[in-house]
Amino acid sequence: MINNIRNTTRARGLENTILASILLFLYNIVFPLHDTLILSTINEVLVFITLYFLFKYIHPFLSGKTDSPLTLVLNAGILTALIFFVISISMSLFDDLVLTNENLNIFNSLFSIILIFVFLGSSVYIFSTFRELFFLRQKKDPQTYFNTMLVFFSLTFFSNLLLKVDSNFDYPHDAFFVVSIVLICINSLRVSWIAFIIKRQKLYLLIISTVLSVLFGFNFGMLQDTNTIKQLLVTFSPGLYTIFSLVMIYGMIYFGVIFFTTLFHLPTAEAFDRKAEEASSFMDLTKLITQVFDFKELAETVMNITTKVCNSYSAWLVTKKENNYELNAVKNIAYIEADKLTKLLLDYEERELIRVQTIYFDSVTSDIKGVMGDFKSIAIAPLKVHEEINGFLFTARHNNINFDEDEKKSLQAFADYAAVALENAKLIAESIEKERLEKELDVARDIQRKILPSQVPETKNLEVSALFIPAFEVGGDYYDFFNLENNKLGFVVADVSGKGISAAFIMAEVKGIFESLSKIILKPSELLVKVNEILKDSLDKKSFVTVIYGVIDLEKGTINFARAGHPPVIFSRKDKVEKLQPGGIGIGLDYSSGFANTLKEMQIELTNGDIFAFYSDGIPEAKNAKDEDFGYTRFENIIHQNRDKHLDQISNELMKNITIFTKDHAQHDDITLVLFKWKS
Amino acid sequence: MADFNVNLRDVGNVSIIDVKGYLDAHTAPELENVFNKLLDGKQFKVVVNFNDLKYISSAGLGVFMAYVETMRENKGDIKFSNMKESVYNIFDLLGFPILYEFYKEELEAIQKFNLQGQA
Repeated sequence: MINNIRNTTRARGLENTILASILLFLYNIVFPLHDTLILSTINEVLVFITLYFLFKYIHPFLSGKTDSPLTLVLNAGILTALIFFVISISMSLFDDLVLTNENLNIFNSLFSIILIFVFLGSSVYIFSTFRELFFLRQKKDPQTYFNTMLVFFSLTFFSNLLLKVDSNFDYPHDAFFVVSIVLICINSLRVSWIAFIIKRQKLYLLIISTVLSVLFGFNFGMLQDTNTIKQLLVTFSPGLYTIFSLVMIYGMIYFGVIFFTTLFHLPTAEAFDRKAEEASSFMDLTKLITQVFDFKELAETVMNITTKVCNSYSAWLVTKKENNYELNAVKNIAYIEADKLTKLLLDYEERELIRVQTIYFDSVTSDIKGVMGDFKSIAIAPLKVHEEINGFLFTARHNNINFDEDEKKSLQAFADYAAVALENAKLIAESIEKERLEKELDVARDIQRKILPSQVPETKNLEVSALFIPAFEVGGDYYDFFNLENNKLGFVVADVSGKGISAAFIMAEVKGIFESLSKIILKPSELLVKVNEILKDSLDKKSFVTVIYGVIDLEKGTINFARAGHPPVIFSRKDKVEKLQPGGIGIGLDYSSGFANTLKEMQIELTNGDIFAFYSDGIPEAKNAKDEDFGYTRFENIIHQNRDKHLDQISNELMKNITIFTKDHAQHDDITLVLFKWKS
Repeated sequence: MADFNVNLRDVGNVSIIDVKGYLDAHTAPELENVFNKLLDGKQFKVVVNFNDLKYISSAGLGVFMAYVETMRENKGDIKFSNMKESVYNIFDLLGFPILYEFYKEELEAIQKFNLQGQA
C-alpha cells in the first residue's frame, strides 16, 4: 500500500491527493476502530500522507494569489469561522459521536469520516495560507525556519503513537509540541507584507485580525475541553488532532502579531502610501518614455502624475520654442491663464530657475497676486537636458501649504523625465526627417539612372566610351548622344548646379530640351543660346547649368562644339595634349544678349587617333586627404600617355589613378567621363 | 563638415564681406543670411573679400547670382576681391568675369564704388 503511494508520488498532485484520501477513507470504513498499535500506526501514516499531498496540492493555488494578501487572509478566516460553526453545532447537537464498539454502524463511521475530512482540509488550507504569508515580501530566504517548524510538526504528529505504546511515555510529545509553539511564535514575526498594503487595507486588516485571532483562540480552546469533536478527532487520529491544535495556535498567535504590527504601522501608513504611489508613478512614466513617441501624450501623463504626487490642483508644462515659450499641456487650468502666469512668473523668477523654485501668495508683489488668482502656492521646475534648460514644469495649489522637500524632489524628477522625453521626441522627428531625405535621394538616383543612356552609339569611324559614377549625394551630371540626320552624331555633357531631387528634375528637363532641339538646331552655339532662353523660366536665381554641346560629322570627319561654363575639353592628338576652352558663360547666369555674345563655337578637322575627353568637374576637383585637387595636369597626362589603348582601358586607367589619389577621401561629386576617338 | 566663416564690416558706405574656409551647399545659408541683412539695411554696395576662402562650390556661386540683380537694380553691385587663383579659375570657367568685377585688392573695389558714386 505504501509502495503504491510511493510509486505515484511523482504523478500529479491532484491524483496523489485523491488516491491518499480514498485510501484513508476505505481504510476507515474497513477498520473504523484503531484499537491496536499496528492499525493506528497505519492510519497515522495514511493521515500524514494525505495531509502532505493536500498541502503540496493547494500550494500553487495560493501562491498565485499573493498579490492580494488580504484575500488570502479572508479565505482562511472564512474557513476558521466554518470550523467554529461546525464545532459549536456539533457540541450542541450530538452528544455522542465517538465511535465505540456499541454504536458502530456504517452511518456513524461515514459521518465521522466526512467530518474528519472537513477538519483535515481546513487545517491544511489555513496552514498553507500561513505559509504563503510567511514567504511574502521576504528578501532573505527564510526557508530553513519554516522547514524546521514543519519537521517539528511532523515529529509532534508521530510522537502521539508513543502514547499508544505507553500512556506514561508522553514527554517526547509534549516537548515537540512546545518546541513547535516556540517556532510558531518566531515564524509569526515575519509579517513585513503588512507594510506594503495601503492605509485602507491596513484598517481593514486591523479589524479582521482581531476577529480571527479570537476565533482561532476559541477553536483551540473548545478542543481543549472534553467534547465530542475532540473525542472524535482523537479517536480517529491523535496526530491530526495535534496538527489541528497547532494550526489553531498558529492562527491565534499570527493574527495577534498582525493586529499589533498593523496598529503600529497605522500612523506611518499615509506617508508610506505616498512613497509607494510615487514609486509606481515613476515606473509608469519610465515605461511611457520608452513607448510613447508622441510628446503631447506623455506631457498629459506627466501633468496627471505631478498633481497626484505633489498633492497639487493644477499643473502645466511649457517648452522653449526659439525665444518664446509654448504651452504643451495643462491640467485644471485654462490655457490663457496658464500662459499669463508662465510669462509673469518666468520674468519674476528668471535668474533663479536652475532648480525648483516655489512662489507663495503672501510673499509676492501685488501685480503677481492679481494673476495668481485662486492659487496660493506654485512650484516651478526647469526641464534640463545636457545642462540646457528647454522648458518648465509648473504645479499650483489652492491652499497655503508649502511644498515640502519631497514634493520638490518629485517635481524635479518629473521635469527631468519630461525633458528626456522631449529630447527623445525631437530625436525621433530628426530621424524621420533623415529617412525622408534618404528616400528623396533614392528617387533622385532613380531619375538620374533612367535619364542617362544605357549604351553608347556604335559607328564605323568613331570609338565612344562613357562612364558615370554617382556620388552618395546625387549630383546633377547628365550626358547623352543623339543620332542626327546626314550621318551626324550630337552629344551633350552637362552639370546642373545643386544636388538631390531638385537637380534631378532640372536634369530631366534639360534632357527633354536637348532631345528636341538637337533635331532642329544643328549649330551647337545657336542651340545653347536657345537652351538658355528656355531654361530661364525653370531655373531659380541661384541655379545654373554648365554644358558642352557638340556635333560630330561622321562623313566629313569634323567636330563642332560650344561650351557654356563647362570645364574645358581635353584634346589629345599624336604628340600634343591641350585644353580646348572656347568662350561661353554658364546657362542661367545671364539671360541678356551677353550670353549669346560671349558664346564661341569651335570646329576641328579630325585626324586619325584624335581623342576628346568631355567630363564633369568631379574629375579635376576630386580631392585627396590633404584637400588637394586631382587637377588637369594629371588628367591630361593619363589620357595622353594611354592614347594608343582602347578607350575603355583609358577610362579605367584614369579611374584607377583617381581612386589612388583620393584614397580615403569620399567622392563628393558625380563623375562623368565621355571619350571619343576618331579612326579614319 | 569643413568650416566656414563670414564677417561683415563697413568701409565708408561700402560693405565688405570677408569669407573664410569652405563655401558649399552646407555653408551657403550663412552667407545668404549676411546678404539678407544687407538688403534689410538697404545696403547695396558690397565687396566680397575672398582672401581666406579655400573652396567654393556651385551652391556658393549661386548665392552671388541670387543677390546681384537686386543690388544692381538699387545702384549697387557685388564686386569680388583678393581671390586665390584656384578659386578664380572656378569663377572664370563659368564666365563670371564677364558679368562681375574682380579686383586684386579690396581697396580698388571700394574706390570703384566711390568713383561711381561721384559720377
